[in-house]
Amino acid sequence: MSAPDFYFAVNAIFRHLHDNFGKPALVDYWRSLGREYYRDRIERWREGGAQAIADDWREYFLKEPQAEIEAVARGDLAILDIRVCPAIKHLRDCSREIVPYYCEHCDHVCGSMAEAAGYVFRREGGMGACRQTFEKNSPVEGESQSC
Amino acid sequence: MLGCQDFCGYYDWSFHYVRRRWGNGEVERLWREAIGGDSQKHYSGPAAESGLRALYKTWVNTGEDEHCDWTFTLDEEKNVLRWDMRECPSKGFLIQNDRQADEDYCNHCMGWIIPMLGSVGAELTAHEHNHCGQCWAEMRMKDRASEPLDLPIDIRKDSRWNRGYLDVWLNDQRQPHAPGLSDSSDPSDALEAWQRATAATNLPIVTDVQYNHPAQYPASPRAVLIGCPPQDLNSTATRYFATDPAIRPLLLHAYLPAESFIDFIASGLPRPLPIVPLLIRKKQYVHAPGAVHPTTEQFLALLKAALGAK
Repeated sequence: MSAPDFYFAVNAIFRHLHDNFGKPALVDYWRSLGREYYRDRIERWREGGAQAIADDWREYFLKEPQAEIEAVARGDLAILDIRVCPAIKHLRDCSREIVPYYCEHCDHVCGSMAEAAGYVFRREGGMGACRQTFEKNSPVEGESQSC
Repeated sequence: MLGCQDFCGYYDWSFHYVRRRWGNGEVERLWREAIGGDSQKHYSGPAAESGLRALYKTWVNTGEDEHCDWTFTLDEEKNVLRWDMRECPSKGFLIQNDRQADEDYCNHCMGWIIPMLGSVGAELTAHEHNHCGQCWAEMRMKDRASEPLDLPIDIRKDSRWNRGYLDVWLNDQRQPHAPGLSDSSDPSDALEAWQRATAATNLPIVTDVQYNHPAQYPASPRAVLIGCPPQDLNSTATRYFATDPAIRPLLLHAYLPAESFIDFIASGLPRPLPIVPLLIRKKQYVHAPGAVHPTTEQFLALLKAALGAK
């Protein structure tokens, strides 16, 4: 199992970038991180579809201390029910001041990964529990699919 | 979600992001303020109350959480807290996963530890790391004299210490990386200073394959880029030591994260200077994990481009 105190640093880096460079810079950091750092996972998602996305997150959360989640695939939709978010839980358990925009990192990190893999990311809820979906990005009717 | 299992990987990437977007000073500020001043309050809070003993307890707990293969030694009589790291799990993650986004991952530790120590009335006496997962440090409270420890588990007595290249700190200050070349503690600055000082000689920079064939390359070059892996370290050492010390070439190496570690010390050679930090800084190279990496000849071309050398 991984060391949960790393969540302290995640929270602190978000605060530092936000307070020193502003929210747009923080969002750019998140989106760049998703696109660049997670290039390999994006490729697996693109190749394996919704099932690969669900499997990837199931495996990922297995290594996150105290996480409670369920990940399933239904057709072109991957659904991630996060009942206990390990980051929020550990930060709260250790009485750390959580930045109010903490959960938005998922919107942008996972969002940019999803986009690059041809999916749309959505999140409902947050600050400890949420539901995240990755839905195949179907081309709008009449829109050309050629490159 | 950004988890803790691959934190060290995107931590390294984050340093690179901040450095490329806002510059070196902002990476140092991130380490000092975000990590040293915010994230690691669980070090500074207790240490402000009970000094080295509190730091010892916190670091031992961290070591258990992170499965560190290290030894922490507290000698309050000698006013010393020391660690000897045999296998750093943090750098180990990067090595295991062939990652190097930023110029120098290991420097982040001193980047947050020195300011944190200063905030609790302590200081770093000495530190060295070899960029391969081995390092040591001694710390003390500022208000008392201290005495260095002589321990059988001193990592410098371990054969693994021969790996990599060293960065050195004394009394909170990073020391010149290549004192004969430059006063800068930064290896990229040192390489650029060397280039400015020697370019006019018009002597070439060659690969170890070329250097190991003196019949084809009889003139002593300015520098030798030793390959990953080296073509033949014994041949390189033989020619190097047969050369007048005044005109021996500068030795260079890429130190790729997932390469088999090379014991330059055992062959008698000095540790080569790293080239990848400069290549990353000059946007000549992006390390692609798990990919086929450049050949020695390709690295030499990238280095020449980074240095503006012929």
